[in-house]
Amino acid sequence: MWLPLIGLIVGLVLGLLTDLRVPDEYSNYLSIAVLAAFDTLIGGIRAHLQNSYDESVFISGFFFNIILAASLAFLGVHLGVDLYLAAVFAFGVRLFQNIAVIRRIWLTKWMERRQKSEKN
Amino acid sequence: MIHFTLITTIIGFMLAVQFQTIRQPVVRDTRDIWELRKDLKQEQELQHRLLLEIRDYEEKLHSYEKKQSTSKETVLQETVNELKQEAGLTEAKGAGLVLTIEPFYPDNYVGPITETVSPELLKRLVNELNMYGAKEIAIANERIINTTAIRDVNGVTKVNNRKLTSLPIEVKVIADDVQSLYSHLQVSNILDDFIIENLQLTVSKPMSTVILPPYEGQVRVKYMKAVKAEKEEN
Repeated sequence: MWLPLIGLIVGLVLGLLTDLRVPDEYSNYLSIAVLAAFDTLIGGIRAHLQNSYDESVFISGFFFNIILAASLAFLGVHLGVDLYLAAVFAFGVRLFQNIAVIRRIWLTKWMERRQKSEKN
Repeated sequence: MIHFTLITTIIGFMLAVQFQTIRQPVVRDTRDIWELRKDLKQEQELQHRLLLEIRDYEEKLHSYEKKQSTSKETVLQETVNELKQEAGLTEAKGAGLVLTIEPFYPDNYVGPITETVSPELLKRLVNELNMYGAKEIAIANERIINTTAIRDVNGVTKVNNRKLTSLPIEVKVIADDVQSLYSHLQVSNILDDFIIENLQLTVSKPMSTVILPPYEGQVRVKYMKAVKAEKEEN
């Protein structure tokens, strides 16, 4: 349970220490990639909680979503349409849905545990 | 779990990079007047040093140029300049004539109006001038060089790929013996040829200085190659 959190912190520290900067014109792509990554991560947690977690789906979804989002943004820049908004919208909606599902699962678990403790 | 960790690490890294990209370095200038003065002094010293360096380099350059003027390269440079002059890449100045081409119509003329000079006529004029000893020619401020093309492109006469200006056109000629060129032109048939095309060629009196512009295009040398000397001669 703690391993992913530690990984997150390690990644953050690594990123801050390397002092890497993306040129301004590419920061759009990075932000959308971050969003896609978040979406996949939350989706993975939800699947884990619903016991439908599949490793290959998770890993492939992670990279595929990032690449798709970035290429959509790229296409949007070249077509002159803010296509990255489509990615932001899709990922945002999915993010909220997944978080809601996770919340409900946790809530029911918590309620169950409380009822059990009340019975005892 | 391992995969989750991997993914979260990547996300963390991406977040950190994004964060650093977005974050503007906010550094306020909090120096007081004395620190500012100190910094200003430093910069002034730096400027002074740089100026000294520039002077030093300029002196060096100057001395190199001096050396050069007494060396072999000067001779080569002179040769190059002479060749450029011969090729028509430099402005030419000298004694010569100015011919003016104007439209000419008899009083009772009915017919088409010529607005340009035909390339055939111009070529003939150039040939004639060369025959009479012209050294440099410029038609409507276009210098005639060895590879100059005078041709008709869709009804427009072009010299050196540039359209001729509208009439009247000035043809400037430099010659060694201006008087002879002038006399030859006076009795030449070329004036009649111009009249036939409703153009009048006026030949000015010999002038002491006529200035010809340089050829402005690129001279392409296609079928010539520099011969590499096998042994360097000293």
